[in-house]
Amino acid sequence: MNIFTGLYQSLTSQVREINARYSKPSIQMTPLVKICLLFLRFYLFLLIGLLIYKFITVVSQ
Amino acid sequence: MNIYSNLFYKYRKSAKAIRMFLVVAGPGIIVMVADNDAGGITTYTATGAKYGFHLLWFLILLGPVAYYVQEMTVRLGAVTKRGHAEAIFHAFGSFWGWFSLLDLILTDWLTMITEFIGMTAALSIFHVPAYITVLICWTLMGTMIMVGRYWTWEKVALIFCIGNLIYIPCAFMVHPSIKDIVYNSVIPHFPPGGFTNDLFFLLMANIGTTIAPWMIFFQQSSVVDKGLREKDIPFGKTDTIIGAFLTVIVAMFLIIVTGKLLLGVPVESAAQAASMLMPTNKYIGTIIGLFDAGFLGAICISLASSWAFGEVFGWAHSLNNKIKEAPWFYAYYFFAIVLAGVVVLIPRAPLVLITLFVQVIATTLLPAALVFLILLLNDEKTMGKYRNSLYENIMNIAIVVVIIILSTLYGISTIFPNLFA
Repeated sequence: MNIFTGLYQSLTSQVREINARYSKPSIQMTPLVKICLLFLRFYLFLLIGLLIYKFITVVSQ
Repeated sequence: MNIYSNLFYKYRKSAKAIRMFLVVAGPGIIVMVADNDAGGITTYTATGAKYGFHLLWFLILLGPVAYYVQEMTVRLGAVTKRGHAEAIFHAFGSFWGWFSLLDLILTDWLTMITEFIGMTAALSIFHVPAYITVLICWTLMGTMIMVGRYWTWEKVALIFCIGNLIYIPCAFMVHPSIKDIVYNSVIPHFPPGGFTNDLFFLLMANIGTTIAPWMIFFQQSSVVDKGLREKDIPFGKTDTIIGAFLTVIVAMFLIIVTGKLLLGVPVESAAQAASMLMPTNKYIGTIIGLFDAGFLGAICISLASSWAFGEVFGWAHSLNNKIKEAPWFYAYYFFAIVLAGVVVLIPRAPLVLITLFVQVIATTLLPAALVFLILLLNDEKTMGKYRNSLYENIMNIAIVVVIIILSTLYGISTIFPNLFA
């Protein structure tokens, strides 16, 4: 159990370190970049929404 | 300088260029030929069986599409010396980085399951039990990465790529009509029956199998691991062109085989096609058994994930590192292939559902990976003089927009099969 706890703590600390290292995007945020990222967020929101909807309809049948 | 000296000089220069190319070549050819994996072979088999030679022209169009997308990864990898996962983290921050990484891991794992499905189905034709096939694959895949360095792995992978070309002599063995092949390759047209929903889905499946998200991550990481530099980019582009040519050729010849021998026969998988062909021509039936295709796909996809994980977590993540130097890189690799193989061995595992699910999950990752690729290739701070030219932007953006639209429709049609009925 201690091994798993140690592994988990190591993993979470690495993830926090990665998040801190890449907290600020380095790409120049031109209007085109912002539009593309907004489109991607909308696109993924829609697709994941469809997946969740399908999952709910399948489970409820 | 007289004419003979001039000729000798040009000969020496060409010979040097060819030698340089042979040193640099590898990532492009491997990724493109591995694209004809178990899923790809199944798609082309079904395409030939359903529409004969009528979609050969469409396959030819997919060659440049694959080239323009993959060529960007060569430039990005050679200039930034980062894999695609790390490049996304660095440029777009941790939210998009984690999304891309985790989505890639999931997509790759599911795709590897389909490769193992293909390989076990292929060897089951020879009555080899699934668990023996999986053990053989684990042994081969493990040995490949543990022995030698990146160069060794690459040369072995290229040998498997040669195995993938076996579909070419197959097509000659079935004696197709050359006139029909030339006509259907050169003249764009719809098959008899016109533009139907079935045709639309098959076209989207062909596009989906030609451009897969793992290819972008694999080639870029491979370019980095191989140590390609900016001055190697022209050779990397040539490597990618040759790979694109080979992938289209193999796909076309496979369609010719099934279009000639199985036209009108409902085919759901390459393994099924192989079983049907065994009584008539056991050599062709064996070849369409697709073990090589599944294996090639599996070795590339598993590496794509391992490289991505290593890049992001900062582990040593090169095939040039020994196991002791990069334990987590190799540990993840083995974990991924074991996990994929084990799923195939589970009795009554929902393998068909997994195959469908891969297509949907790939739809979530592919647009993001492509959009990030275009944005990075246009960032002057990142790419400098190697950023996209106007012509490259026109071609790449047009290709990416079409792929996003079609792959989205394909994903939605998989989730809601009756929507487009």
